[in-house]
Amino acid sequence: MNRKPYRRELSKTSWFMTHQRYKSYMLHEISSLFVAIYAFILIIGLFRLGEGPEAWEGWLGFVASPIGVILHVLIFVFSIIHTMAWFKAVPQAMRIQRGEEIVPGKLIVGAHYGVLAAVSLFVLILAGVA
Amino acid sequence: MEIIETDIAIVGAGGAGLRAAIEVAEADPNVKVLLISKVYPMRSHTCAAEGGAAGVVKDNDTLEYHFNDTVGGGDWLTDQDAVEYFVNEIPKELTRMEHWGCPWSREDSGKVAVRPFGGMKIMRTWFAADKTGFHMLHTLFQTSLKYPTIERLDEYYVTDLMVEDGRVHGVVVMEIRTGKMTLVRAKAVIICSGGAGKIFPFTTNGAIKTGDGMAMAYRAGVPLKDMEFVQYHPTGLPATGILLTEGCRGEGGILVNKDGYRFLQDYGLGPPDPWPRLKAMELGPRDRLSQAFWHEQKKGRTIPSPWGDVMHLDMRHLGEKKINERLPLIRELSRLYAGADPVHELVPVRPVVHYMMGGIHTNIDGATPLAGLYAAGECACVSINGANRLGSNSLGELLVFGARAARNAVDYVKSTEYLNKVKTIQAQAEDAQSRVKALFQSQGTESVPGLRKELNATMEEGCGIYRTEAEIKATCDKVTEIRARYKDVKLEDTSTVFNTDLLQTLELGCMIEVAQTVAVSAFERKESRGAHQRLDYEKRDDVNYLKHSMAHFDPDGDPRIDYLDVVITKSQPAERIYGAGAEGQVV
Amino acid sequence: METRDVTIEVLRYRPEQDSEPFFQSYTVPCEEHWVVLDALNYIKDELDRTLSYRWSCHMFVCGSCGMVINGEPMLSCKKFVRDFGDKIRVEPLSNFPIERDLVIVQDDFMEKLSSVKPYLIPKEERSIESGEYLQTPAQLKTYKQYTMCINCLCCYAACPQYGLDDKFIGPAALALAHRYNADSRDVGRSAREDVVASHEGIWECSFVGACSLVCPKDVEPAGAIQQTKFTSAIDYITGMVSGGGKK
Ligand SMILES: Cc1cc2nc3c(=O)[nH]c(=O)nc-3n(C[C@H](O)[C@H](O)[C@H](O)COP(=O)(O)OP(=O)(O)OC[C@H]3O[C@@H](n4cnc5c(N)ncnc54)[C@H](O)[C@@H]3O)c2cc1C
Ligand code: SF4
Ligand code: SF4
Repeated sequence: MNRKPYRRELSKTSWFMTHQRYKSYMLHEISSLFVAIYAFILIIGLFRLGEGPEAWEGWLGFVASPIGVILHVLIFVFSIIHTMAWFKAVPQAMRIQRGEEIVPGKLIVGAHYGVLAAVSLFVLILAGVA
Repeated sequence: MEIIETDIAIVGAGGAGLRAAIEVAEADPNVKVLLISKVYPMRSHTCAAEGGAAGVVKDNDTLEYHFNDTVGGGDWLTDQDAVEYFVNEIPKELTRMEHWGCPWSREDSGKVAVRPFGGMKIMRTWFAADKTGFHMLHTLFQTSLKYPTIERLDEYYVTDLMVEDGRVHGVVVMEIRTGKMTLVRAKAVIICSGGAGKIFPFTTNGAIKTGDGMAMAYRAGVPLKDMEFVQYHPTGLPATGILLTEGCRGEGGILVNKDGYRFLQDYGLGPPDPWPRLKAMELGPRDRLSQAFWHEQKKGRTIPSPWGDVMHLDMRHLGEKKINERLPLIRELSRLYAGADPVHELVPVRPVVHYMMGGIHTNIDGATPLAGLYAAGECACVSINGANRLGSNSLGELLVFGARAARNAVDYVKSTEYLNKVKTIQAQAEDAQSRVKALFQSQGTESVPGLRKELNATMEEGCGIYRTEAEIKATCDKVTEIRARYKDVKLEDTSTVFNTDLLQTLELGCMIEVAQTVAVSAFERKESRGAHQRLDYEKRDDVNYLKHSMAHFDPDGDPRIDYLDVVITKSQPAERIYGAGAEGQVV
Repeated sequence: METRDVTIEVLRYRPEQDSEPFFQSYTVPCEEHWVVLDALNYIKDELDRTLSYRWSCHMFVCGSCGMVINGEPMLSCKKFVRDFGDKIRVEPLSNFPIERDLVIVQDDFMEKLSSVKPYLIPKEERSIESGEYLQTPAQLKTYKQYTMCINCLCCYAACPQYGLDDKFIGPAALALAHRYNADSRDVGRSAREDVVASHEGIWECSFVGACSLVCPKDVEPAGAIQQTKFTSAIDYITGMVSGGGKK
């Protein structure tokens, strides 16, 4: 046989380094890890609250410690990345059609940001910050 | 050489080939069918068709009207029995396409929508935005996957027809990725290989439209009919030749010269208003429009461009919404390739070689004079197009006659046995193979791109919109010379794997044969009719030339031309009337 | 006509001679209006008859000329030389075996395409005499975008999931399945489910979204896949609730 097709393999461990697009994708994927860590910290907090005032104070102390603050800043940054990535993807997964018109993706994304802002504001007001 | 056996081999998997294959599969699942194509089916050039397919469906329309438009549009060189069959069948075929999923554009009621097209008295052109051919091709291809009996050879190049005892016995194919040649034994062959626009330099046709099937049948002794009739579409983009569909004008676009004047009113197509109005002005037939451009150019009223003179297509008044909805591809193509957004700007256009009215001679059954050989689609000449095809009739043609040729082929194979002369046929196939092998050994000096360019140039000079005896003669001589020099052609790539140098070499051989029939038929037709306009014989001459030209192959000499009577049933030749007297529907 | 010299670096691979691909450079005097395909045609006609690549329509509708140009999968007839600098690198579509030069092997895709049953499966056969199915412009709009695929395979070349595991049915074929599922005339969703919702089908897609970004026809295969996931998940849940009607 004169044919000899040449196969180029994608490396299973470093494929995402081959294109900027994949690097950003990996960043999104990693961001979910931080969101998970945050959920974990919150759950621990809940347990501590159940264990009594001392445990709770200890948890608050950890949260306010330099490590806790740095961790939270990181979590904050990554959850923004996470949110933006998913908001951007929403119009693809959720196509809304009104008659002959497809609702523009920008509108759907915008609505998501709007709701996010409203909820955040509400929480901040509840917390007495704003 | 390896042998594959089948009942019906189809050469070409464009619209016509796919439709034929499906028809065979539906007619009788016991009949084996092999669909062979030099490109994957969805790459076939049917995909490029933009505007639509005509078929009578609306209440204000009649089959009679479609018949008259087609016969008159073809300047009475059409066979009227074939046209009658065609207009009868096409609405059914288009409905069948709908049932197969073709995404036709719709009216609010949910019924299919129709749009105006050139030379048609009533709106009757079904369309799928401005990608009709693309959607038809993909619908046909995807539907064909439903039938297990349709086998395919994708990216196999057919080099020769096998003929013995006055019957066809199959084809020889070359697998493009290995160079391996195989004999396909078949009781019947249907050629659906498309047109040959590439014999001209400036064309809407894709790279694959090199007239292979026409040349194959011609070499096997089947005449090529009416080859001098080459359609120039009035609106191609300069530089590339990319088509802007007649649908642009159907939707209301207008053509203007350098003074912004709708010049078509000076050429028997006016008055300009009311507009849009069918069978008038910009919705006149293509031959008339391209000819009017030629005259404007002679009068110095066109606009110069680096790629030849142009006129302007003005669609600005249609508005962004309509253009986006009905002509999205046109907008994209104009912006990208001409740097002009039709929503805001004038788009430069000029006439461009588009379609071959002529082709392999068949009767109304799609059968050629060679037993077992059928042809359909653009490569064939049935003939429903006569001297000038009406836009949106050929997508219909490939369905109607693809199906009809297939049904007749099925009947034929059921009553036929393989010929017991395997050895002779095998020897023929081996001859075909050694001709290809010889190319690999040839010490020739002629280059393929060089010869192709010379061929293109001379075809444009001698067989353009207007022709004269001296120019055609010069072209005939030049093609004869190129044909001789081709024997000395040099293959530079000697690989057997996906050798596109080899493919282009074989294709060039076909182009030269086809070009020669065009030039010689044009030389012999001493009248002006439809797309064949002679400055030295300005009038139509029904006494001598209400006849089909038939070009017969001669391996060593020029083609021999004789004539065949046109079938006339109910419409006697008359003057073609457009503009004021045509009573076209106002849109 | 004015020209500008551009270096076109082409990944060459000639199976009978080469053990692996290598880059070959050509200097091409490009005209202002040229697309990358025109530059390749110039090479083929004037510089090197042995270069192989696929092309036909030159108007981005036949889908033959997908290539990787400066790292991105795209149609070479739709990318203008003027939009690049003095050097353009052209490679065959990634994630596919190279047959020769810029020609890839696409048998795998052809099989996948037919595996999703990409044809209309109607509730019942309709006679020609009863005319067309009614379908409103709004119903047409629902699936129209997914009919636009020209099978150029740029999306497969961009999809890391396909690169890692070529069993994955992949973006264009899944989008095509969705095209029929979303057609008001079609009831074939369950017939396609076996393949579409299998392990190699939609669930293999990790929503990288690269396919949609490179698609020259705005087909949005990633969106089609996510929408299919959604309906399949709903099917699954309703199936469980109603007592395992479907598997
Ligand atoms: C830009 C453009 C726009 C058009 N718009 C319209 C329109 O709006 N309405 C209309 O009615 N018509 C239109 N036409 C005309 C119409 O599209 C064509 O006439 C028609 O599609 C031809 O179809 P076909 O099946 O005969 O050939 P094609 O679709 O060209 O198919 C030919 C097939 O033959 C195969 N083949 C050829 N040679 C060989 C060989 N040696 N070995 C193996 N296989 C081979 C090819 O691979 C291909 O599969 C348009 C044409 C063009 C170019
Ligand atoms: S969204 Fe899915 S199909 Fe598209 S690139 Fe990503 S993994 Fe591939
Ligand atoms: S989905 Fe887009 S990128 Fe993928 S094959 Fe179809 S047209 Fe090409």
